[in-house]
Amino acid sequence: MDTTSSQNTVAYACNPKLKEAYKLLRDGVSKRLTVILIGDFKVEYEGRAASTLDFGERILIIKRDGAVLVHRSEGYEPVNWQPGGGIIHVLLDEERLTVRAIRKNPLEVLKICFRKVYALLLLRLKDVSEFHLYASEEEMREAVLANPSLIEEGFKPISFEKKVKPGFIDVYGVDLKGRLVVVELKRSPAGREAVLQLARYLESLKGEAGRKIRGILAAPGLRKGAQKMLEKLDMEYKHLDPKLCFETLRKWKYRKISDYFKKTAAD
Amino acid sequence: MSDAKLLKDIIVAIATLIDEGTFEITPEAINLREMDPSRVAMVDFQWSKSLFDEYNCSQPTKICINITEMLKLLKRAGKGDSVELTLDEERRRLNIKLRGKYVRTFSMPILEAAVEEVPTPKITFNVKAKITTDGIKEAIEDAALVSDHVSIEANEEELIMRAEGDIMGATIEMRKGEGALLDLEVKEPSKATFSLSYLSDIIKAASATSEISTIEFSTDMPIKIDFPIREGKLTYFLAPRIEA
Repeated sequence: MDTTSSQNTVAYACNPKLKEAYKLLRDGVSKRLTVILIGDFKVEYEGRAASTLDFGERILIIKRDGAVLVHRSEGYEPVNWQPGGGIIHVLLDEERLTVRAIRKNPLEVLKICFRKVYALLLLRLKDVSEFHLYASEEEMREAVLANPSLIEEGFKPISFEKKVKPGFIDVYGVDLKGRLVVVELKRSPAGREAVLQLARYLESLKGEAGRKIRGILAAPGLRKGAQKMLEKLDMEYKHLDPKLCFETLRKWKYRKISDYFKKTAAD
Repeated sequence: MSDAKLLKDIIVAIATLIDEGTFEITPEAINLREMDPSRVAMVDFQWSKSLFDEYNCSQPTKICINITEMLKLLKRAGKGDSVELTLDEERRRLNIKLRGKYVRTFSMPILEAAVEEVPTPKITFNVKAKITTDGIKEAIEDAALVSDHVSIEANEEELIMRAEGDIMGATIEMRKGEGALLDLEVKEPSKATFSLSYLSDIIKAASATSEISTIEFSTDMPIKIDFPIREGKLTYFLAPRIEA
């Protein structure tokens, strides 16, 4: 066994005896450290449902908020987990090291029984950065095409990247009442230049449409002066969060027919 | 052409996927190949000039029109009306003349055509099934009762559709040579899953054009649905659902 410590690694051990692992683990959990355990263990879960997973070599992570994750060697999702905020017990008997993660409401118990620990790592990790998620304007457009209600209920896209004299319209469609709608997408708060751009698109379509066209500027916010200008030009603002667009795309279950235009090597 | 209904049926079939479309008109034929705005499905349509009583086109042109609006006009055609389409290039308008008990001429604007050409998907199909259009329509309606997507699979003897909803499920089996399934060719057993709303929209919209339809698919690849029409083709492609 080898234990040592550095700035963020409080302790680590390779192939520790269960008793040694127990001491380190109990210490780590009580100090609210982040714990990674690799070993041969089985998992029992009882709560709203029940599950069992017999012995196998896998990874257990206990985070400092008490969240518990059991990962197998494949797949991105944990096979068993418990959210943070619960109680964690560490027990040792003759042949087993047991971790019990208990959630009170609803009552759920996750019991993890090691017969062998290959590696143990106790960490004090510093991580205060905020998580930022970015979606490009193209991804925002894809999300709107996949789920047009992001713009409004009943919105129906007709085309995208539509060429008009002043440039390309992001999304072009009709609303519930059959009125034409031109949507300009911005991934950051939109300013007056975006409003003017939209106005130019509407102007260029006037002759072609011969009826009222709605202009919608969809962005995560408006910069100074943009709101007034929109009102003056009789156009609208729709709050559209790039993060929501990103999530919409992640949930989108269908492939695109355009993915099949190029013959792949597999064919 | 002598039957306006023929044109209306085709426009119905196209309008189910797109609101605006570009027709390519050559001295030999009229073509349209477009994807729906979410690019999950596409329609590939062609009418040869021989279908028309009179067809004049000296040089290839592309015209983009609002299909939904065109359909509104064509729905005004009565039984036995004939229809004449002319392109007024100078005024950039399409004239639709319906001739029945009296003559009506509608005109509609030509829109800016899309630059992008839509190719055909390159797919090797392992299953080809010939089904009555009514048969497949019914099967899709059955599946739509329980779910929003359906898996279609085939082995040498039969075609099976399975739909699994949150609480209900449906299995539809069609045996080769019995009832709806007229013919089935299977190079290797295949299975893929598709959106029922797309399938049902496509099949409903195209059902007036042909009594039989051919579907072709392979495992986790797009499905091709073909409606044999006189002097032309009406084919759809629909991309599969990603199975988690």
